[in-house]
Amino acid sequence: MPTPTLTQSLIIALLQAILVVVFIFVVVPLTLYAERKVLGYLQLRLGATRVAGSLTGLTGFVNRNMWKLGKVPMLSYWRGIVMLVGDVVKMIIKEDILPTKADKFVFFIAPAISFCASVIVFAAISFVPGTLFVLPKFIPIVGGLPVSGAVGDVNVGLLWILGIASVGVYGIVLAGWASNSKYPLLGGLRSGAQIVSYEVPLTLSLLAPVVMSGSLQFSEMSRSMAVGLPYWGIVPQFLGFFIYLTCGFAETNRLPFDMPEAENELVAGFHTEYSGMKFGFFYLAEYINMTVVAALASAFFLGGPWLMPFGLHGVLNPFFTAHLPAFLVPLLCEPHAIFFVVKIIFILFVYIWVRGTIPRYRYDQVMAVAWKYLIPLTLVNLMLAAAVRYLTV
Amino acid sequence: MEQLLIKIGQNLFLVFGLMALGGAATMVLAKNAVHSVIGFLFAMLSMAGCYLTIGAEFMGVAQLLVYAGGIVVLFLFVVMLVELSKSREKGLFQRQTPFALVLVVAGAVAFVGVFWRTIFGSSAAEALTLSPNLMAQGEKLGNAQMLSRGLFAEYLLPFEILSVILLVALVGAVVLAKTERV
Repeated sequence: MPTPTLTQSLIIALLQAILVVVFIFVVVPLTLYAERKVLGYLQLRLGATRVAGSLTGLTGFVNRNMWKLGKVPMLSYWRGIVMLVGDVVKMIIKEDILPTKADKFVFFIAPAISFCASVIVFAAISFVPGTLFVLPKFIPIVGGLPVSGAVGDVNVGLLWILGIASVGVYGIVLAGWASNSKYPLLGGLRSGAQIVSYEVPLTLSLLAPVVMSGSLQFSEMSRSMAVGLPYWGIVPQFLGFFIYLTCGFAETNRLPFDMPEAENELVAGFHTEYSGMKFGFFYLAEYINMTVVAALASAFFLGGPWLMPFGLHGVLNPFFTAHLPAFLVPLLCEPHAIFFVVKIIFILFVYIWVRGTIPRYRYDQVMAVAWKYLIPLTLVNLMLAAAVRYLTV
Repeated sequence: MEQLLIKIGQNLFLVFGLMALGGAATMVLAKNAVHSVIGFLFAMLSMAGCYLTIGAEFMGVAQLLVYAGGIVVLFLFVVMLVELSKSREKGLFQRQTPFALVLVVAGAVAFVGVFWRTIFGSSAAEALTLSPNLMAQGEKLGNAQMLSRGLFAEYLLPFEILSVILLVALVGAVVLAKTERV
């Protein structure tokens, strides 16, 4: 492989950044749609079934004619999947309202901080170990060069993820302040306190994988958590996984910890005064943060991001190579981004599942859970992880 | 193109440094206290960038995690909840101006002196390091490993003393805040 020059590596980094954004904008609308449907079935209803149910307007014109043809209206096709487009279009064309006494600059910059922080986190996550794909020869400047599976797999990757994610809280707190209104301010303060508190057990629960793998680099940690541990090394991971997931729910302000936007107490929390795409950015940031939490969970607690969980590769590979058609073998038997994506989707499903199952905590209970139960538990877990490390190394 | 990019890459430290200065200036000059905090946040983020450009990844990310993620949030909380626009408080700040000016000038002179000596003086010839044998290990090990070896093996006692000083400051703050109620 030729060493890329600075220009080439910058162009490749830009390409990777675009791929990350594409990934985000594919995953987030699908999660939104899944949330409608899964929540619907969890609550014994259908969820979204159609867009444009009316018989007026442009969509109504199409619908009327399709009913006449004896067909189900086009825009209500396939279980409301048009809702994907509908959500996005609604958010973009909605009126953007600026409250009269709001602080214009801060009101404008708050959603940007929230969104940027959640996207920049992806820089340290490596989707594939090594090379993702090699660019074809005919591309002018960067032809024939490999594109690696991570934008920047730095040796302090985990700290980078935690550090940038902790900047995201400014978006929420500043949005609450800039709206110049009581409910958003209270929502922002609650959320700030909650996120700062839950960062402690979250970081402590992620310390267990750090101790066991002896590294802070994302790829090295995932590799070591997947293949570098004995079978009983799973014990501290088990407790750690549930603590991590709980803290992840709290960090992303999801039910049962959605304090900043507890509707019956605070209208809509910090984004009460926001509308249009500014609100959309908060919405996007929430779902991107969920994806990041899911990615970290799959990397450090579900047996490495690029492999099947629980070492299933070792059990299934001889069977697969013997019986599967040849084109499936490199797909299923080697480390692959597909497993990563499947695990992320599973954790996102767990998010929605929990939302449909567990009611919201009271605010003092949220704080009590973090400080009285989760932090001592993570310390116990950390001791377990240190014991595993001591016995294996 | 290539040459220009290399040039920018070499001077990235300056770029981040100027951004940090801009943030600091915003912090000092902004009329609104929350805008000041945003300037402070920007300065802290740029400082993290500075650390990253000189190859101190761990320091840079610790800067992000501790200052940008923790301390500035507390600043923001305090500033948001305290009404600073009242004239009484403004009067308080105006009384402090002459003392502040004297302190700023003294600090500036001291800093310029230190910079002058590090850039042009005799100490500019040798590289700044804490411990030569640590530097030799640093080539092989990662950034975080090297720093932790320095903190927990070579300089354990000073490190612990520093934490005790922080604890004393914390207890002192609690005592100061509690006196009225007791």
